[in-house]
Amino acid sequence: MPKVKVHRANPTTDMTAMCDVAFLLLTFFILTAKFRPQEPLPVSIPSSTSQILVPEKDIMLISVGPDGRVFYGIDDHNTRIRLLDELAKRNNFTVDGAMQKNFSNMDQFGVPINQLPALLRLSSDELNKFKQPGIQIGKDSPKDSTKNELADLVRFGRFLNPQIRIAVKGDKDSQYKSIDKVVETLRETNTNVFNLITAGKSGPE
Amino acid sequence: MAEINTGKKGAPRVDMTPMVDLGFLLITFFILATTLSKPKAMQIIKPAKAENEKDQPPLKKSKSLSLLLGEQDKIYWYVGSDESGAGLTVDSTDFSKTGIRKVILQRQQEVAQQWGDKDQLVVLIKSMPTAKYKDMVDILDEMNITHTKQYALVDLDKNDTTIMEQVHTLGK
Repeated sequence: MPKVKVHRANPTTDMTAMCDVAFLLLTFFILTAKFRPQEPLPVSIPSSTSQILVPEKDIMLISVGPDGRVFYGIDDHNTRIRLLDELAKRNNFTVDGAMQKNFSNMDQFGVPINQLPALLRLSSDELNKFKQPGIQIGKDSPKDSTKNELADLVRFGRFLNPQIRIAVKGDKDSQYKSIDKVVETLRETNTNVFNLITAGKSGPE
Repeated sequence: MAEINTGKKGAPRVDMTPMVDLGFLLITFFILATTLSKPKAMQIIKPAKAENEKDQPPLKKSKSLSLLLGEQDKIYWYVGSDESGAGLTVDSTDFSKTGIRKVILQRQQEVAQQWGDKDQLVVLIKSMPTAKYKDMVDILDEMNITHTKQYALVDLDKNDTTIMEQVHTLGK
């Protein structure tokens, strides 16, 4: 006698397609994420309860390391190239295409301006190994305007991009006096509004 | 009797559900990890360089609170900023909730009682050159938390230097 076949609907759905989508998205996100470039000056920022977001563009970033070294950077590549031209003109050095490319790829630098051409001739490997001494801020005090290269750089940056906003990124462990030097320099250039970059914290503990 | 099934067999089914779960979990993680770590900015507005600071009216002692940021995350605070420096009582505290925040809130109440408005309080923040930057950010943050409207980052005056010297000698 033939058996009666009971045809039951299979309640499991095929998850393969969904799995494909999930991993496709995952791959997409991973591939589009930008690697953080190696920073010449590692800075671990303090946290605050401030909720203001750091603006995405038109930023002039001044970093202060735990050892008091000061680095300077502008976010926009075109502004960087114009800045380099300006610096070259004022300090009598010549710039070639490779140097320009290097400079526009450099998020931050921290050498006295007369050492800048030498820095830009380094290859990327050499650059990673080279310990940059930081930008000069006056000989004894920030008010010594002839030696304050940071003040010049801030003025150039504001001249090249009047909309630029200034952010100071200090390390948790840097001493107040090195931050104060930067702040005094900013005041010397009549920059009285600026941002301190901090990591977010949810609220008062 | 052993059966040998020679009938047509479909491809073996694998349950994909856990793998889907894992995929979406990873996506969620990456999205959250990238957006949540955005740095925040703290805006600082410094007064423009005054032509001659002598013209500014002096700050009333009863409205002021001076905080000295010292080494090892210590805060020394006192009320008033006399030129002479005589009769100042300096106290020390720390950055905890019961430390500096209590001091500021208490001082706000005192000012509110005397002047009718707690926003009349002016906090003078002075840092030792060797104080940590973190402390400066913390104290500015504390100003936000306690809703202190008037505060200023100022340089150490003569008084403060002597206070700090005394603290140094007493502390050791």
